[in-house]
Amino acid sequence: MSNAYIDQFPAEAKVIRAAFYSSFFALALGGVFGIIQTLHRTGYYRFIDSADYYTVLTAHGVFLVISFTIFFLVGIFTWAITTSLDRGVEDLRFTWGWYGLMAVGITLTGVAILAGFTDATDISASVLFTFYAPLQAHPLFYLGLVLFVVGTWFAGVDWFRSWWAWKAENPDERIPLPAFMVLTTMLMWYIATLGVAAAILLFLLPWSLGLIESVNPLLTRTLFWFFGHPVVYFWLMPAYMMWYVLLPKISGGKLFSDPLARVVFVLFLILSVPTGIHHQYLDPGIAEGFKFIAMTNTMFLLLPSLLTAFTVVASMEHGARQRGGEGYLGWLKALPWRDPVFAGMALAGLMFAAAGFSGMINAGMNINYLVHNTFWVVGHFHLTVGTAVALTFMAVTYWFLPQVTGKQLWSRSVALGQVVLWFVGMTFMSNAMHRGGLLGIPRRTAEPQYDGFEFEAAVGSVAELDAQIALGGVLLTLSLVLFFANVVGTALNGRSDDLPDNSYAGTLSGPEDAPQILDNLKLWTAIAVVLVIFAYTFPLLSIIDRGGLFGPELVELPLSTLDLESISALALAVEQSTIATLETTADTATAVIAGVIP
Amino acid sequence: MSHATDESTQIQDPDQPTDSDQVREIGHDEFDPVGALALIGLYFLILVFLWFFMYFVEFLGNDPTVVSGIVSVVTGGVGLA
Amino acid sequence: MNIHAYEKLWLVAAMLLIVGFIATITYGSVALGITMVGDQQDTVEPTELADDDRFDDPRVEQVGENEYEAYVVAQTFSFQPNPIEVPEDSDVTFYVTSRDVIHSFSLVGTNVNTMVIPGEVAEMTVEFDDPAEYGVVCNEYCGPGHHDMEGEVHVVSEDEFDLTELEADGPDEVETGDEISVDVTTENRQLEAIETTITLEIGDETLTEDVTIEGGETLETTFTVDSATLGEGDHDWTVTVDDHTDSGTVTVADDLEDDGGDDDE
Repeated sequence: MSNAYIDQFPAEAKVIRAAFYSSFFALALGGVFGIIQTLHRTGYYRFIDSADYYTVLTAHGVFLVISFTIFFLVGIFTWAITTSLDRGVEDLRFTWGWYGLMAVGITLTGVAILAGFTDATDISASVLFTFYAPLQAHPLFYLGLVLFVVGTWFAGVDWFRSWWAWKAENPDERIPLPAFMVLTTMLMWYIATLGVAAAILLFLLPWSLGLIESVNPLLTRTLFWFFGHPVVYFWLMPAYMMWYVLLPKISGGKLFSDPLARVVFVLFLILSVPTGIHHQYLDPGIAEGFKFIAMTNTMFLLLPSLLTAFTVVASMEHGARQRGGEGYLGWLKALPWRDPVFAGMALAGLMFAAAGFSGMINAGMNINYLVHNTFWVVGHFHLTVGTAVALTFMAVTYWFLPQVTGKQLWSRSVALGQVVLWFVGMTFMSNAMHRGGLLGIPRRTAEPQYDGFEFEAAVGSVAELDAQIALGGVLLTLSLVLFFANVVGTALNGRSDDLPDNSYAGTLSGPEDAPQILDNLKLWTAIAVVLVIFAYTFPLLSIIDRGGLFGPELVELPLSTLDLESISALALAVEQSTIATLETTADTATAVIAGVIP
Repeated sequence: MSHATDESTQIQDPDQPTDSDQVREIGHDEFDPVGALALIGLYFLILVFLWFFMYFVEFLGNDPTVVSGIVSVVTGGVGLA
Repeated sequence: MNIHAYEKLWLVAAMLLIVGFIATITYGSVALGITMVGDQQDTVEPTELADDDRFDDPRVEQVGENEYEAYVVAQTFSFQPNPIEVPEDSDVTFYVTSRDVIHSFSLVGTNVNTMVIPGEVAEMTVEFDDPAEYGVVCNEYCGPGHHDMEGEVHVVSEDEFDLTELEADGPDEVETGDEISVDVTTENRQLEAIETTITLEIGDETLTEDVTIEGGETLETTFTVDSATLGEGDHDWTVTVDDHTDSGTVTVADDLEDDGGDDDE
């Protein structure tokens, strides 16, 4: 008889399984749309209309960065809370409730997006992951997102309830590290999602329903980025958690420093949100001073990641040395590279080191002129969420699947091949994307080939970059196929009694070394709120003062049917409005002349 | 908590033969992460080099750049002097 | 709190890195004068650009000896004016706004790059040195035709550059023997005077007139040709000033019917 998670918490294991499978389903869909895009953009194989590319892109973005990541992380957060507090959830119906709400929400959103492929309905939502007004999606899109986010709010409530109950029974104990990470991450998430909740509930949803005439595009955009930057930490924090609590154990060692891990998560809680304006360095209507403040906050947000780099590497080194590793760098050979869980996480961490660099460039204010909205940015986040997060999630899946299914992993060799293939594929793809961005190749476009000019590469050529991207995309797709083979193969395996125990890494320097104040979540939350108020009050007031709460009159662009007819209809509408304007002008002129000349 | 400290070093996964390769136990005081320091030092140097390269070669070499009208006059004056 | 000496060292190094990054950016702003797109410009009504002084006529304007202003409108899926023509060795301030959704205005291969948000006006001053042709892309998704949205900025040599507007008007028909008169309106929108030649070519005839047009002035010229020398039939004519042309056709007929031939609207 083993002592796996499913043996300890059979009911919770079922919820986590459901969350994982939802996550993997989204990953499969997102992956299919990913390869379609890759081949379309690079021009290797185009079987969809270029206008439909943006529906594909919306689906790729939303399914991967909303459904795949968040479903997976609610799974491992549930694992972290129950395992580290050693207690089941307080009310299983509540747990299934928030899972159900998330599932319903993302289904509505997904349907609204996918309906864009057919002319059978007027429903569509090809507004991309950022849904900037005046682009307008069907109300279902916004409604689904709201339900999904509310689901995550309830998930947080669930975990807080566990903590409160545990604290009542263990008043003098330190919060176990995994639980501490979940709680700080969720507090950050509550603050962050206020932005997107305001954007959708106050403005975009009523506007899409026709209840309000117009919105202020700069305001809704700013509220989006209020949420849009911290959301990347929402994806990243679970990966960090895995690097802190699982990777040291898999490496054969212990976490180097529990106190610093706490410091890192506290810094993320207080600094993640007041930085969103760094996505708007090139926005007109926001003063340079606000942008500079956002940059300063963003640069200091590098600190927790840089600290993490040291702690995680030191923890791996501890494992390697316990396994007999020697020398300054020779110990690297003593690490369990043939273990897919380790190899996947270590390679993800390596890619994140590179991503850290491109992130530092993105954080810089004036250098943003060079990279803003170019392919560079796409390269950056395919390293962060696309590798640091996604590859870590896939790697830890090989540890979690046996834990929550009670079945042996189908194939460790296939798993190892999968993580290596992802690393290689993403190396080709993201490197080429970064370089392409420096040539000025834009992101988010179906056909980055123009009539009037060409992109000039000092080294290599655009064709070579396209080839690397397409090759990378194919390797990543293969990697996904291997991943799903393993997930399905494992699900089809029989129940095993011979599974590793459910446990996580011990610490070299434990919570007893961490000042008590680090566990004061109220204090850190209050500081976080104050910083957000400082960073956002004046920019938001200024934006509202300039453009009005509901903005100027706008030309709405509902993306209901994405075919050539709608484009020509649009062109016709523009033409007609122009003619109408001209006629009005002519009438006015005639009237004026008539008035002047007696 | 309980899982963390008690069981983490017991590696008993039969499927992971490499993990049982632990040859010694290294405690907090004996462990000196020189390897981590070496790697992170290397990373630091790479970051500094790439930052300067990106800012002064890629960015400033990517003329023209958005400048304020006033300062351009000032730098023009400096150029003449 | 128990922090290892190496970690303290790394903490200091990390802080140095962060401060160094901020210092570099500040150096760019203060010493090199790199300015962010900001809130310098007043807002605008996207649906009423025709009534806005800045954007009623998307154009390039000369405002100082080497200073120009370009008023650009982005809309699905084009930029106006296109191409934008400016001279070498000039300071050009771009004012960019959107008629509909969010776009961008980004000169490929340069650091000239801004979001274009309806209701807001992006202002960017750029120094152009040598003649060059830049592509302009919209790098923010703006709808199903986003990938077709492009433009060009031409930085042309001093000799080639002007802000001259030419308009010529002639009769559609004249009776043989009558005079054909072509009215030419030439506007010099630059600040300095230009010396140039206005040329009318009609049939085998070429008429020229050397003119000087003061900065900001408009010159009216009339060319007169005897229709008899051209003979009966249709005659194409072209008026040329530097690189600008305007043209038309005149029909010379023996007997003009009162009701016929008026195919002009």
